[in-house]
Amino acid sequence: MVALKKPLLIGGLLAVAAVAGFFIYIEMAFPKVRCEAAKHLNAPEEFSDCFTCHSKATPVLAQDWKDSKHGALLVKCVVCHGQPDGKGSIPFAVKPSEKVICARCHEPAMNRMVAKFGELMNCDTCHPRHQNPMHRAAYEPISASGKTE
Amino acid sequence: MMSLSRREFLKVTAAGIAVSVLAGPAMAGQQSDEADKWVKGVCRYCGTGCGVLVGVKGDKAVAIKGDPNNHNQGLLCLKGAMLIPVIYAEDRLLKPMIRKGGKGDKLTEVSWDEALNFAADRFKKVLAENGPKAIAYYGSGQALTEESYVANKMWKGGFKSNNVDGNPRLCMASAVAGYISTFGKDEPMGTYDDIDAATCFFIIGSNTSEAHPVLFQRIAKRKESSPNVKVIVADPRRTNTSRIADLHISFKPGTDLALMNGMAHVIVRDEMDDARFHGKYCNFMKGADAVTFEDYKKFLEDYTPEKVEAITGVSAATVVKAAKMFVESAPTISLWCMGINQRVQGVFANNLIHNLHLLTGLICKPGSTPLSLTGQPNACGGVRDVGALAHLLPGGRLVENEGHRKEIEELWKLPPGTIAPANGRHTIALYEGMASGDVKAVFIHCTNPAHTLPNLNKMTKGLQTAFVAMTECFKSAETVKYADVVFPAAFWCETEGVYGCTERRYALIEQAIKPSGEARPALDILMEFGKRVGVDPKLIPFANAADVWEEWRLMSAKSVYNFAGMTRARLKKESGLKWPCPTESHPGTNRRYVKGYDPLVPDNHPDPIFFYGKPNAKATIFLRPYVGPFEPADADYPFVLTTGRVIDHWHTATMTGTVPELQKAYPGAYVEVNPEDANKLKIANGDMVMLETRRDKMAFPARVTDTCMPGLVFTPFFDPKLLVNKLFHDAADPVSREPEYKICATKVYKV
Repeated sequence: MVALKKPLLIGGLLAVAAVAGFFIYIEMAFPKVRCEAAKHLNAPEEFSDCFTCHSKATPVLAQDWKDSKHGALLVKCVVCHGQPDGKGSIPFAVKPSEKVICARCHEPAMNRMVAKFGELMNCDTCHPRHQNPMHRAAYEPISASGKTE
Repeated sequence: MMSLSRREFLKVTAAGIAVSVLAGPAMAGQQSDEADKWVKGVCRYCGTGCGVLVGVKGDKAVAIKGDPNNHNQGLLCLKGAMLIPVIYAEDRLLKPMIRKGGKGDKLTEVSWDEALNFAADRFKKVLAENGPKAIAYYGSGQALTEESYVANKMWKGGFKSNNVDGNPRLCMASAVAGYISTFGKDEPMGTYDDIDAATCFFIIGSNTSEAHPVLFQRIAKRKESSPNVKVIVADPRRTNTSRIADLHISFKPGTDLALMNGMAHVIVRDEMDDARFHGKYCNFMKGADAVTFEDYKKFLEDYTPEKVEAITGVSAATVVKAAKMFVESAPTISLWCMGINQRVQGVFANNLIHNLHLLTGLICKPGSTPLSLTGQPNACGGVRDVGALAHLLPGGRLVENEGHRKEIEELWKLPPGTIAPANGRHTIALYEGMASGDVKAVFIHCTNPAHTLPNLNKMTKGLQTAFVAMTECFKSAETVKYADVVFPAAFWCETEGVYGCTERRYALIEQAIKPSGEARPALDILMEFGKRVGVDPKLIPFANAADVWEEWRLMSAKSVYNFAGMTRARLKKESGLKWPCPTESHPGTNRRYVKGYDPLVPDNHPDPIFFYGKPNAKATIFLRPYVGPFEPADADYPFVLTTGRVIDHWHTATMTGTVPELQKAYPGAYVEVNPEDANKLKIANGDMVMLETRRDKMAFPARVTDTCMPGLVFTPFFDPKLLVNKLFHDAADPVSREPEYKICATKVYKV
């Protein structure tokens, strides 16, 4: 009994060190925020709409969002993706979970689809999140001064 | 051996968990969707009144989603989707506080008993020494219906003081007066369902996209359904709302009365009016005098498209185009908000919108209706219907009407003559009265006037001298700085009560979780306070909010605001019901004044439409001349300053400011400057720009964008660090007493 105590303790401590080491390694090797945005995100007084940077960093993606229904209706990046620093109220995810995030607003539609077609792989296949190719005309981007009379 | 190894094992596991917790990104207040149960409610923010489901795990709210059975069909806007962290914000007020030594002293935390007595003693003293006119209640369109009802009853029936007003005075008093003057009764006749039937949208003075996002989604969806659906947006700013517009009309700020009279001129000139409709259902009035259609035509001669172009800056062709679109693309729904209401001609502007519908007969039909949008979640149901304003009594009755006072005295079982015959003080008069010493004590409930009143430097003087007791949920609310007593109130789903939104829909917010800290439901606070001041307990014999609702529900049957069919049990079951709803089997009313829809129109009524609010059953088309704003731009102050909302924040940001994502998107106020003006003034994006008006001056970072038309600058009002309302004057509409927040003259220069 007594003889077993020491190896158990050492083993336990080693396990703790291994777990801690693992997390420290992950933390150091893969910082959560590796882009320029980190600067902005850490300056609380600075205006930082994700779109401002992403229209330069990932212009196609940003423009797709802007032209989509979500863009026209101002459903902004953080609503689905959260904040990349993880300090926000919505968990950060590059690919948000459909069952959790999409369902918050679209659950009735998702249920309708399941009732009609059965359980599908994912919504994204037919409804690309950042695009709305079927009815794009209604939201066609116009130059801001294009329609003013 | 077992016991020892188990202990070691536990130690090791605990250490491991501690390490992983420290390293992991989890954060308190973050949403998760593993809820044990979902509790039905209504969103805390705007007047759209979206249904929500609050996910509860254990004793905590952990998630939110849209209610699929309410009008929003499961959708939420970004503020609504991030409502949960607000409940657990560090800024929450959790203990009663008082300023023992008076105004200069610090707020100290005390017991509930001490705080309630401290406030009640002062009110009692003021009542004894200065009478009922020296006390006041300043309520809110965010308070629950039950709270506003009880406060109104306590003040008007208990203290005999009609000094009951609130922030709806600053928000939709003009819409109320508009509906009452034109149709005889307040509240819209149409509902959101009309959006799905309309093929023409006339949106004026509303940035629906940012102020009512879920409603905008519904409009956009309708717009998307067919190229024949037309959207007209009339706004001196080209906001995101104009993204779906077929026609954006940028008129000089404050000239919209001329624009709408101009549209009426074209409609009459080109015989696009419905003579059979207005001949039968309308009368024409110039002020209080009855006139004829011929007089109206003559009146409109002053508003030919060319004359309108000279006033508004909108081309004559555009005026014609707008008028044609309004009629030819019918059914037409008009939507408006603060751009129309917060004006010195707010009531006139409202009348002119109704005119367009009455003239063309585009009213009381599917998709055709003038629908006033409301800014706050319970201004309609909680304040307008309850009559919690200085000139109103419950159910659309008026203080100055002897018959109405008698009815309420009977319903409240009060001795005849209890209710004072004169109107109380409206908001501006109330704060002026506080400054002059005529009003000595005020109870502020669920609102932040030190941030939202116009001409703040002047208006807050009263708050510095009068005794201020208030309920509040957040420490950082500006008004707390002036309060003598602060009662921490339960927030949103921590208590239960009814909200009534824009479309006459009443929905119950059910209690999902216990109040945080020592916070108590505001209804309890109000009644406990009232009893200690000396309100007869028989006047407020309510054990809970359901009791209050029961009294108000039964009372409503005696008015045209009949919702006697909305029992508490029914509200628990259904995701909102629209009044009139006289019986428990009635499904609610989609179209008021129409036979077959409105239960108040008898089945044997000779006409399909019956404007029963008016003694002669006719709605009024008013001859309202164009009058400009109170303070137009001039040589000294050459720019027009306007204010409004951004999508990420709501009102004074006491709630949205606690949500990291929303705060990050808009950390502070800014000023929008048109590139043309920016060029002239050599202003670049991010430069500090001074706005100087006749009241005050303030510097904002510039955002150079063509949202504003040249000559116009815009700044949002949410930022507590930059109280933009210091810049605005407090001139108000002579009828509705709603101040003109939307227009004042300013200098603009680079700092």
